[in-house]
Amino acid sequence: MDVNILLANFPYLVTIVLFAMGTLIVLTQTNLIKKVIGINIMETAIFLFFIIVGNIQGGVPPIFDPQMPDALYINPLPSCLMLTGIVVSFSVTAFALALIVKLYIFYGTICAPNFMKLK
Amino acid sequence: MELVSKLPFLCVISTLIASFCMPVLARWKKEFCAPLATFITGAVFATALFVGYHVSHGNVIHFPVSGWPPPWGIEIVVDTLSSMMLMLISGICFLILIYSFHAIKHELENNVVGWYYTAFLLCMAGMIGLVITNDIFNMYVFIEVTGIGAVALVASKGTRLATEAALKYLLLATIGSGFVLFGIGFIYMMTGNLNLNYIAMELSEVKDSYPFLIWTSLSFLVVGFGVKSALFPLHLWLPDAHSSTASPSSAVLSSLVVKVYIIAFLKILLIAFGLEIFHETYIRSLILVLSVVAMLAGSFFAFVQIELKRRLAYSTVAQIGYVFLGIGLGTPWGLTAGMLHILVHACMKTCLFLTAGAVYYQTGRKKVNQFAGLGYKMPITMGAFTVASFSMVGIPLFGGFISKYGLALGSLEADLPLLILVIILSGLLNATYYFPIIGQAYFSLEEGHEHEEKTFQKDKIPLSMLVPIAILAVCILYLGIFPGGVLDFINQTVVKLL
Repeated sequence: MDVNILLANFPYLVTIVLFAMGTLIVLTQTNLIKKVIGINIMETAIFLFFIIVGNIQGGVPPIFDPQMPDALYINPLPSCLMLTGIVVSFSVTAFALALIVKLYIFYGTICAPNFMKLK
Repeated sequence: MELVSKLPFLCVISTLIASFCMPVLARWKKEFCAPLATFITGAVFATALFVGYHVSHGNVIHFPVSGWPPPWGIEIVVDTLSSMMLMLISGICFLILIYSFHAIKHELENNVVGWYYTAFLLCMAGMIGLVITNDIFNMYVFIEVTGIGAVALVASKGTRLATEAALKYLLLATIGSGFVLFGIGFIYMMTGNLNLNYIAMELSEVKDSYPFLIWTSLSFLVVGFGVKSALFPLHLWLPDAHSSTASPSSAVLSSLVVKVYIIAFLKILLIAFGLEIFHETYIRSLILVLSVVAMLAGSFFAFVQIELKRRLAYSTVAQIGYVFLGIGLGTPWGLTAGMLHILVHACMKTCLFLTAGAVYYQTGRKKVNQFAGLGYKMPITMGAFTVASFSMVGIPLFGGFISKYGLALGSLEADLPLLILVIILSGLLNATYYFPIIGQAYFSLEEGHEHEEKTFQKDKIPLSMLVPIAILAVCILYLGIFPGGVLDFINQTVVKLL
């Protein structure tokens, strides 16, 4: 593969690596807090991906400036969508932590293999 | 603008508002929670029937939310598919809420009943929003709303097992929606649109320049929606979540929540990508293989379970296989049968879970080998259970037969006649785990009561639990004996999609 293509798409490579890392952490780590951190890494990767999709190299923030009427603006929509994404991610994290607290009261541990068995 | 076009949007909003009122109401006047929730759901059901009547005359409702026209704003589109799901969701939820009146006090602790109604209405609002929206990012938001409501329904039971199952469900469901969002991101990258129809227009022009991206986004969507709707190897969260919670919550999770994700997937697949791309890529073969494995393996796992609700939960895994088989076939009959199976299975599984709850209510029994003599103790409940099981197996005159027959016709249309063998085999496997329960209920008596006469007694459960069960059994029989009207309605959708 041409290295230049890879370098030009470097941000996309980072998002995929982060996404895979997060998913792997959720699925393989036994500590429940680490699982929640994995979820957060995964979702952050998606936020990054959307923001890169909206970005244009050399673009300016989409605020109309009368002195530069034909400036190149970046696409603000994906960034706005990610505000919603962040809220969702935040609420999922809060919910997961609340459930973990409850499980800690039941078991006295936050290590998954003690109880998260396949049945 | 006509009033009728605003109604579907009002359904979502009123359910959401009612959901947020519940915790406050539970602190102030606890006994008002159940009637208010049932009233709102009943009103939504009546609205859905009205909208369905309007749509069945060939009208399609387009409603731009807060006045922004389609390419910029969120658009709500109610066609025959959406209105069918709207009626199904609100109808089943209405019946389950009537059932919850007495059952929920028996199964949940008193201080979480308000939260149960909050989670239930939140989940319902999410589901309704998911089926009526035409905007893929809005779809993602409703997927999350439904998901969080569903997890809260599982967690509301409060036991050790339920909390564990809820956390597992939450983590896996979040991975699933992460994959869906990534897939949506790829679609946005290719087309620059979020509205399904505009994506379809844009994609038909540019699809040749991004063959690899179409592949990637479809794969992400299949994995994401597969986790969410428990397609076989990704079903790991389902049995625990659906069996450990209260029976009314299990009913809504098993019969509706896993289905709305399939509807969302179907909308993205058929409206945005179109059938051509679906047939060109290998996604179709993947879905077909996974659904066949699901049909056989799900039934097999169900066979080895001892607890009734776990058996029903694994049976859901198998039935999801049927629906995906219909989508994978991609022929008119296959799609019709898949959608009909969504409808029939919603009635059957709700009926089965509600009867399981009723048996637990009257006798406290949970295991499948404890049903001896129940056919005489609870004739109406067990009668409904028998009807639903026969329909599951696919015996003629019951609803399940029609959808299986349709799937068989679909596999002939798609030139894959071997699939008929799989459908029959899976039906027989269903029989092996439902018939012993029914046989026990009618033909053997409890230990210690062997000498009693077999006389029918009256069910000792409240009327509010008995009526929904009976209505669902009648619905299954109606779908089995007079399927014409419903098939016509579904056919309108399929003709438009293909």
